[in-house]
Amino acid sequence: MHLDLETRTRKDYIREQKSLHGRKVMGVFPAQYPRELLLAMNILPVEIWDPPLRTREASAHLQSYICSVVSLGLELILQGKCSDLDAFLFPHTCDSIQNLASIVNDYLGIHKPCYFFYHPKAPYKRASRPYYISQLKELKSGLEKQFGELRETDLKRSVDRWEEIRKDISKCYLLRSEGRLNTSNRAFYSILRRVEYLHPDDFHPLLTNFLQSGRTETERQGHGVLLSGVLPNPPEVLDHLDAIGVRVVDDDLLSCSRRFLSGPVSNSDPYEAMAETYFSLPPCSTRGSAIEERLNHILKKIRSSRADGVIFLIVKFCEPEFFDVPILADSLKKEGIPVLVLENEINQALSGQIVTRIEAFAEMLG
Amino acid sequence: MSIAPEIRYRFMKDIGAPLVMGMAGLKGKRKAAIKRDVPLGPPLKCSKRLKEIMTRHYFLSRYAEGARPVAWVTSGAPVELLRAFDFYTVYPENHGALCGAQKLGPELCSIAEGHGYNQDLCSYARIDIGVCLSGKTPVGRLPRPDILFASNNICQTVMYWYRVLAHHWKIPLMVFDTPFNFVSLDRSAITYMVRQFEEMIPELERISGRKFSEKKFKEVLRLGKSSAMAWGEVLATMKTVPSPMTIFDAFVHLAPIVSLRGLPVTLEYYNVLLSELKDRVSKGIGAIVNERKRLMWDNIAIWYKIRDFSRLFAERGMNFVTATYTNAWAETISYMDERNPMESLAKAYSLVILNNNLDHRLKLMERLIKEYQVDGLVIHSARSCKPYSVGQYDLKRLLMERLAVPSVVIEADITDFRAYSEEQTTTRLEAFFENIEDGG
Repeated sequence: MHLDLETRTRKDYIREQKSLHGRKVMGVFPAQYPRELLLAMNILPVEIWDPPLRTREASAHLQSYICSVVSLGLELILQGKCSDLDAFLFPHTCDSIQNLASIVNDYLGIHKPCYFFYHPKAPYKRASRPYYISQLKELKSGLEKQFGELRETDLKRSVDRWEEIRKDISKCYLLRSEGRLNTSNRAFYSILRRVEYLHPDDFHPLLTNFLQSGRTETERQGHGVLLSGVLPNPPEVLDHLDAIGVRVVDDDLLSCSRRFLSGPVSNSDPYEAMAETYFSLPPCSTRGSAIEERLNHILKKIRSSRADGVIFLIVKFCEPEFFDVPILADSLKKEGIPVLVLENEINQALSGQIVTRIEAFAEMLG
Repeated sequence: MSIAPEIRYRFMKDIGAPLVMGMAGLKGKRKAAIKRDVPLGPPLKCSKRLKEIMTRHYFLSRYAEGARPVAWVTSGAPVELLRAFDFYTVYPENHGALCGAQKLGPELCSIAEGHGYNQDLCSYARIDIGVCLSGKTPVGRLPRPDILFASNNICQTVMYWYRVLAHHWKIPLMVFDTPFNFVSLDRSAITYMVRQFEEMIPELERISGRKFSEKKFKEVLRLGKSSAMAWGEVLATMKTVPSPMTIFDAFVHLAPIVSLRGLPVTLEYYNVLLSELKDRVSKGIGAIVNERKRLMWDNIAIWYKIRDFSRLFAERGMNFVTATYTNAWAETISYMDERNPMESLAKAYSLVILNNNLDHRLKLMERLIKEYQVDGLVIHSARSCKPYSVGQYDLKRLLMERLAVPSVVIEADITDFRAYSEEQTTTRLEAFFENIEDGG
């Protein structure tokens, strides 16, 4: 099964999910959404972060100053590569995704249902939590019209299941930060990012297997860095860090820890439990967290993982990150922590200049 | 608040400000006497009064610190709530526009860029961060805020930007979170927004040291609504052929409704402006000498090009008679109802153009094109403003398909002229002029 997953394309996997399991498939744009709700309705969320395409048709709809996450997501739709999807979900992550949602829903005439999920922005108020729960319920009602009724027992089961997966993701992070996970940078993110399209029936065994086979009592040597930004892209950065013996010991990535490492869930009501998950997520630029809070969170991670430096992988034109990074980088430097800020398109090949900068940074680590 | 700043503020308000206003008026008179643009009609008489009002506002702001609670506010935030607590409000976006018009954008942006802020970020934000870091401003000095008040009804950018300010000033950031209207505004969103207002009141009482007065709040709402309605009437005079005002005038005369909303001076000013425009309409006085074509503008102004564009289009007998941007401060005001203050405030502020879906924008533009007898559309694709700009290419196509309105896209920025290419813009505009002269 696992070997099979290695070789199967995402497209084949989606088709199999539909034909063998009768699942519906939803294309989900970044970043934060209630996956438990979709899975409980037998809808497989397939996330659209960095499709391996070149922008061709999207430039007729989007300006050149729009980030590649948004332009490539639209490109995927325009090139007709979403024909297997039954609907789209657009979480309210930033201005560009907000307007992309409206372009797709209002202007393109693609004849696929588009759902929108608004989550409250920090600083949170007493009103935020009830509103978040109302949004969950409204999304559920909307989905029911297309996909049929959701049974509360299924939702409860789905919430519990995601909680189990989340705990195992946390374990991976913990072992890695302690140096007790024998894996390459590339392999770690390759496994973790399968959560973006695999069903829990496939993802969870893959993850537990990765945990069991990678666990080691021998601490890994070499310098460690913390990755911050949106995505661990381009993946060649990970390869290069592997090649020069620098291990990623933790991250503050939007696509990874910032939406997976929430606090433990104690509530038995599934909606309350989902709200508990959302409001205990780490600080994030796209959810309005104070920069100070994010800085403290990163510093805590640096201490616990004994990271020697921080690399910010910033997607070109990403406003939420662009605003946070100067203060974060400056404050970290004042703490004596080496910082490297890299700005790139998500699918852009690693340039010689970036390779040199990474190598120079690695030398600074001592 | 201590007594000395209070006395100083009152002195400046009663004596210093009138003196400064008088001087500003004299300066304006001298300039008006020297300059006369041939393709343009007679200048608006009340421009002098506008200059006095805005000069007084920035002049007095220097003395507000310590005398009045000071807030820095985003242009779309429900400032009526702050007015009830007597906050002195400063609008960094208005200040950014002012810097842009004075062609100071790149200089101030560069200061922020020197501290790591990317050149692709909103230039209002970069100017403001540059001002905070350097203290440089053409208005002398901006007061240190006690609180930041932001609403994401115009963009998420202001949230990121104001978090930087909160970190810089070490002061609270109060956010009015307005769920994006993807299809329609639902009850849960209204309840959420009303509850936020209810939570803000004790916090504002604590920061301002003043008790909330419902009576005063309702009076502010009434003034705010009347001012916005008067602004709407001002814009509506431009339906007349020839139009008594150009959109470039409107960009400038917009300042009070943005920055002084809910204050008596704003209503008073727009009544004067309205009366002058009605007088022009009755006498058939146009804003340009020979109005042959009527245009619409989409997006925020290119502040550093207002004067140039004003002449360029007027010379060709083309007058901008409407804009989605200027319309934004009048569009949703009918929702405001002092009998149901919180809910109506939530609706009026969350249904604004930039917090609304693109289908809404398309319909709005179609309506404006018809009502204002528009022959062509100029779309400013502003690097600084993604919620305004993303979707414009499709809007252009759809408006052509539906109404056969020719249009042109200008790639530029609101204040940072390093992102503006004179050559590229001229080429595009020449093609547009030919197109429009050929009847589209």
